Order: sequence, then C-alpha cells, then structure tokens
Amino acid sequence: MFIDIQDLSFTYSNSLTKAVNCISFTIEKGEVISILGRSGSGKSTILRLIAGLEMPDEGSFTLNGKKIMDDRTFIQPEKRGIGMVFQDYALFPHMNVEENILFGLSKMSRKDKKRRVNEVLELVELEGFEKRYPHQLSGGQQQRVALARAIAPEPELILLDEPFSNLDADLQVKIREDLRRILKKANTTAVFVTHNINDAHALADRILKIKDGKIDKIGRPCDLLGSTSELPNTGEVIFEELLPV
Amino acid sequence: MNRYLANVNGWTIGAILIIILLFIPNVSIVTGIFSSASENWAHIKEYMLVNYIKSSLTLVFFTAMFTVVIGLSLAWLIAQYDFPLRSFMKWALILPLSIPPFIGAYTYHGIVNYTGVIQKTLRNQFEIVPNPSFFDIMNVPGAIFIYTLFLYPYVYMITRIFLSHQSASLIESARTLGKGPWEIFLKVVIPISRVSIIGGVSLVVLEVLNDYGVVKYFGIQTFSTAIFQTWFGLGDLDSSIKLAASLMGIVIFILIIERILRGGKQYSYSTTKVRPLPLVKLKGKSAVFATMYTLVIFSIAFLVPVIQLMDWVILTFGKVPMGEVLVYTRNSVTVAALSATLIIVFSLIVGNFSRIVHHKFAKLLPKLTILGYSIPGAVIAVAVVTTFIALDRFLAPVYEFIGIDSGLVLSVSLFMLISAYIIRFFAIGYNSIESGFDKIGTDFRDASRMLGVSRLRTFFKIDVPMMKGAIISGFVLVFVDILKEIPLTLILRPFNYDTLATKAFQYASDEKIMEASQASLLIVGVSAIAIIIFHKLLREEPK
Ligand SMILES: Nc1ncnc2c1ncn2[C@@H]1O[C@H](COP(=O)(O)OP(=O)(O)OP(=O)(O)O)[C@@H](O)[C@H]1O
Ligand SMILES: [Mg+2]
Repeated sequence: MFIDIQDLSFTYSNSLTKAVNCISFTIEKGEVISILGRSGSGKSTILRLIAGLEMPDEGSFTLNGKKIMDDRTFIQPEKRGIGMVFQDYALFPHMNVEENILFGLSKMSRKDKKRRVNEVLELVELEGFEKRYPHQLSGGQQQRVALARAIAPEPELILLDEPFSNLDADLQVKIREDLRRILKKANTTAVFVTHNINDAHALADRILKIKDGKIDKIGRPCDLLGSTSELPNTGEVIFEELLPV
Repeated sequence: MNRYLANVNGWTIGAILIIILLFIPNVSIVTGIFSSASENWAHIKEYMLVNYIKSSLTLVFFTAMFTVVIGLSLAWLIAQYDFPLRSFMKWALILPLSIPPFIGAYTYHGIVNYTGVIQKTLRNQFEIVPNPSFFDIMNVPGAIFIYTLFLYPYVYMITRIFLSHQSASLIESARTLGKGPWEIFLKVVIPISRVSIIGGVSLVVLEVLNDYGVVKYFGIQTFSTAIFQTWFGLGDLDSSIKLAASLMGIVIFILIIERILRGGKQYSYSTTKVRPLPLVKLKGKSAVFATMYTLVIFSIAFLVPVIQLMDWVILTFGKVPMGEVLVYTRNSVTVAALSATLIIVFSLIVGNFSRIVHHKFAKLLPKLTILGYSIPGAVIAVAVVTTFIALDRFLAPVYEFIGIDSGLVLSVSLFMLISAYIIRFFAIGYNSIESGFDKIGTDFRDASRMLGVSRLRTFFKIDVPMMKGAIISGFVLVFVDILKEIPLTLILRPFNYDTLATKAFQYASDEKIMEASQASLLIVGVSAIAIIIFHKLLREEPK
C-alpha cells in the first residue's frame, strides 16, 4: 500500500464536535482520489491533517512505508515530502513566477533548479511567464503556477483544495483536463477536494464521499455516481443537487 | 501525542520569556503595596493623597471634555464636508501630536510671559500694561489648555477614520429622512461614534496621567510629580512604590470604566465593507467658517509654537555649541532606534507565537502586555529600578567573581533605560505587528512549509517581507514616542547621558527657554516627518 490512513480523528480547539471522525482509507501509487462532500463536511480538514498543518487527536498515517504519524510520531509538514495547492493558491505576492517555483527547490544545484523550473512551466504551458508577478496573471494562470510550484519538488503526494473554485465555468472544464493530463504524465499520487460532482467524475480514479466528518461511501466514480450519460452534460451540477440529503 | 506540547519550540519559549519579562517589574509594584509603611507614607496618606487625586482627576476630566469637543467637531467637519483647505487640514490637524506637551508648555509660557511677544507688543506698540496674572498659564487651567491643544489629535484621528469609513449609510438615511445637519450631528453622529470617541479619549486620559513634563514645569502637584518627589526629594522609594500602586489603581479603574462605556465592543474598522462618506460641499459663510475654525486650531496647536521655536533658534544661534546638540541628537536617535528595533523583533516573535499556537492563552497573553502602555511612566520607572537593583544584588557574587568592584552594574547602565522603554511602548509596536499578521493570515506560511521550507526560513522569506508596511509603521510610532518621552528617560538614563528631550526639559526647567528651543525643534521636526510618513503608509495600505 502506498498510502495508509487509519482511524483519523480531529477536533478544532475551539469546538466540541469532531470535524473529522475516525476516517480510514488507502491509496495506490499514481492514483487520483477525490474527496467529495458538502460545505462544512470536513474535506479541507482532512487535507490539512494529511499535510501535517493540523495535529490529529488520534490516527496513523504511513506514506510509502514511512511512518508519518501515529501515537508518538509527528513529522512536521516541511519534512513530509507532500505538495499542496491551496484554495486561493497562496502564491507569494512579493515573488515572481520563477521565484515562487524556485522557493521549494532548495536542495539542488543552481543548474538543476533552472532546468526544473523550465520543465514544470512547460508542463503547465506557461513558458515565458517567469518574470511575471502573481497579480499580473489571470486566475487560471495563477492556478497553474500554484500547481507547477507544488509539483516542482517532486512530492510523493500532492493535495489540492478546491482547485477550480475561483475559476469561471469555461475555464474549469479546460483546467480540469489539463490537471488530469499533468498529474498522469508526472505519475503523481493526488488527493483533491471538491464539492462539484463533475470535477470528481472527470478527474478521479476513486471518490471518497464525506458526510459530517465521516466516510459515507468510497468507490469508483461509475459505481458511486452512475455512468456519465446519466449526468446532465450541460452546465455544472453540484453535489448538493444530485444527492438527496 | 499531546497537541500542545508538540507546539513547544523556540518560538513558544521565546514568546513566553518576553511576556514574562514585560510583566515582572509590575509585580514589584503590587508587592510593594504590602511592605510596611514608613512615616512619610503616613504623612502622605493623611495630608497629600487627596490633593494628588483631586488635581490629577481635575486635569483628566477637563482635558477629556475639551479634547472631545475639539476632536469630534474637527472629525465631523473633515469627514462630512468639503471646504477650502480641507485636504490639507485633514492631515495637518494631526501634526500637533509631534509637539510633546512639555515643549508646548514652555513655548506658550514664553509667548505670554512678561518678556514674551504678546506682553511686549502690548507695552511697546499700544502702551498697555496688562495685569500679569491675566497671562499666567502656570496653573491647572493652563495645563488643561496645553494638554487639550497637543492631545486632541487622538480623538480627532480615531473618530475621523471611523466617520469617513463606517457611517455612510446611517448618515445618508438620516439625510433622506429630512434631518438637518445639527440634528444629524446630535442624534446620529455622536451616538454612532461613541466607541471611537471613547477609544481616543482614553488615550488622552492615559497621556495626561502619564505626563510629568508639563505639571513639573507648571509646579502642579499630581501623582507623577509626587512619585518623583518622595523618591528623590525624600529618598523614600517604598512610599513612592505605594504612590505608584495607587496611581495604577486609578488607571485600572479608568480602563474598567472605558470597557463599560464601550459596552464590550471593540472598535473594528475592517469587518464591514468600507464605503466612504460622500462629501457635502460648503458654500459662502459656512465654508469661510469651516476654514477659519480649522485654521485657528491648527495655528494655535502647531503653527504658533513652531514659529516661536524657530524664532528662538535663530535668536540663540551659536549659543549652544553645535557639537553638543549633535551628541544629544545622536543619543536620542540611537536609543530610540535600538529600543524600537527590539520592540519590533519581540513583537514579531510574540505575534507569530500567538498566530500559530491554537490555544486561548496564546491569544490572551499578548493582549495583557497592553497594560504596559496604560501604566504611567513614573510607575514603570519605580518598577524597573526596583527590579534592576534586586537583580544587581542577586548578581553581586558574579560581579565580584569577574572582578568588578561596584555593586551596581545593570542598574546604572543604558540597558535599564532600554528595558523600561520596551515595557512601556511594547503595546504600540505589537498592535501594528499583530494587525499585519492578521492581514496576511496563515495560508502563505502553510504553503511555504508544504514546499519543504523550515519554519525559520519561512518566517524570514515569507512573513517578514509581506509585513513590511506593518513593520515600518510600528517602528515609526515607537520611535517617535521614545523620542518625546520624558519621565523614564530622566530617571533611568545613565549618569551624564542626555537626549534631546532631557536636554530640552532641563534647559526649560532652568528658565533657559531659548537654549531649549534647538533640541525641541529637532524633536518636533523628526516627529512631524515620522507622522507624515505614517499617514502616507496608512493611506496606501488598502490597495
Ligand atoms: N479553524 C477552525 N476552527 C473551528 N472550527 C473549524 C475551523 N475550520 C473549520 N472548522 C469547522 O470544521 C468543520 C469542517 O470544516 P472544513 O473546512 O473541513 O469543511 P469543508 O468540507 O472544507 O467545507 P467547504 O466546502 O465549505 O470548504 C466545519 O463544521 C467548520 O465549521
Ligand atoms: Mg474547504
């Protein structure tokens, strides 16, 4: 098993209820998993726990045979080798595109760094944008820079939180396809959060449905959601509209 | 694995150490209340205490009243109306803050006294010899006049920002309901700005209680002067600790009243959507009146004293050797810059700690350091000296061991003064840094760590560059406050160490008003520049 997560639970310090309640699942190498659920169901919290940005009440997590956390271990996020694309991208506003990507490439020679920057920029089709600052990019371009930045250090796992939420509908479809192509090409294992059923359908190998911090269902898109033909193919349909409460 | 223990690292330890250091000296005041009373204290308590309370409260009450009247009326005029000179006045009306009240006090005394420009003109040009007591400002009403002139900007500044940003919909709906300007002012503006008025006026009150320069120069007995008198005049540190504790009691009482008046509400400008209040253009008589009113206030609170200072500087040019002035300037700038830098560094550590540790205490503890700013300088001076002398006693064996024969090392060093500045002004720097951290949030920091970058490197490469604005404005505010500071500097400076402020104060106390002018004008100039820089930064921030 590439990734093994067992009995993960978490409570925010200012709250009494569990935001994540005893979640277990496994992921194969190269697999793309989607976490689907309505607003407030605990999707972002699961990603932050995997990333190490929050510390769980209990649970264990191994990545590629390496113990990341259990009762007595807690590896800090910067030591986990996990990449993350934030919902609002969190591109550093005081650095240009190249500096943003270089920022995560510390343990390389200067020449390797340069080559890696060109590689990932080519992957996201943004060659020639090295010197632009984040505010000089469109929403979709920012999103791709964020992806390039996360991929550049070649993480073993990449996490994406609502990667399409800030984009308009046309761009969402385009970026969605780009993302699948990029992830598969780099053979990256990925977990991405969405509340949009079409995103999950188009991108994921498997879907994890979350309800009130617990796993509701888990399985392949066609098993969980039915075949694509049953989905309306015009416009965007969101999770809430499809699944009865 | 314990979630809170896992957060224990360099940041936490550093932050907690800093917070403890900021608190220790105040403990010595509280314990001082319980030490046995000397004869002096019995005398003070019996005959003097009531007087100190009376005069301190009189000064506080009337200054608060007048600063509210002036500050609120100016804020309202500038926020709602357009008239000639408005955009200049908008920030010029803050400038009186650059004149420390004690400099304003001796400058006005110089203007109105027997040899001053007013009486001289009356005598020589009009052959009128007025009753000199008519021009005597060295009394309680005079001190209230001085405080009002140089402290009203606190009320003006806070209330104006509130009115221009937050009141648009309320005032516009009042207008559409057919209310006239006076009615709107009385029934809408005053009630909705209550919280910001109280915020501004409590700063004024704390400044008045803190003041030593004006009351000492005017010979008025207040808590501040009494603490110094019992300490240095009678050599009775214990009694002055007891006085300090009483003053602290009054301050805490006032802070509680402030809380109650505010109704638990914090003034927040950022939460609701900012929609500027559209300006009403004044015409004819009302435009002339508005311009005249603002011009008169600006003149007496800034222009007149500055021109008088310039006049004296020109008259005495060369009398005070330039080299001497340079030394004071260098001392002032070094000690203010050093302390401000330390305050900003400490604020960054504590602010970062409060941001990343998800625990109630991590949010609450730094807020308590605000007390330091509320505690008058004289009290902090007593507290710091007591602590440092105790520290020197404690370290005496160490001094002996390394071959220093004096028992007092730390308590006669610049280190003591700088510690006192840090305790007193930490809150100013911390406020600025905290709002900077609030603005950038934690996403960038998380993003950096997810790229495999360590916490320390993240701090320097991401947090610090993104907070440049907050760091600069925090530094400037602290720097200016230290430049103007009087009681702490006078008591805690090492022997023969003079700053612009102490020198100006000493010359003025010796009735060498003209000699004091050079140092004073330098303080005012530097502070005014800093205030203008700060104003520019504030304006550019929303972009
Ligand atoms: N910092 C926090 N402190 C306290 N409670 C929180 C915090 N962040 C989230 N929560 C709560 O935890 C639960 C799960 O939140 P989470 O952000 O994981 O939801 P989500 O599924 O990502 O929702 P969305 O789709 O709206 O982003 C919610 O009930 C939320 O209110
Ligand atoms: Mg979320």
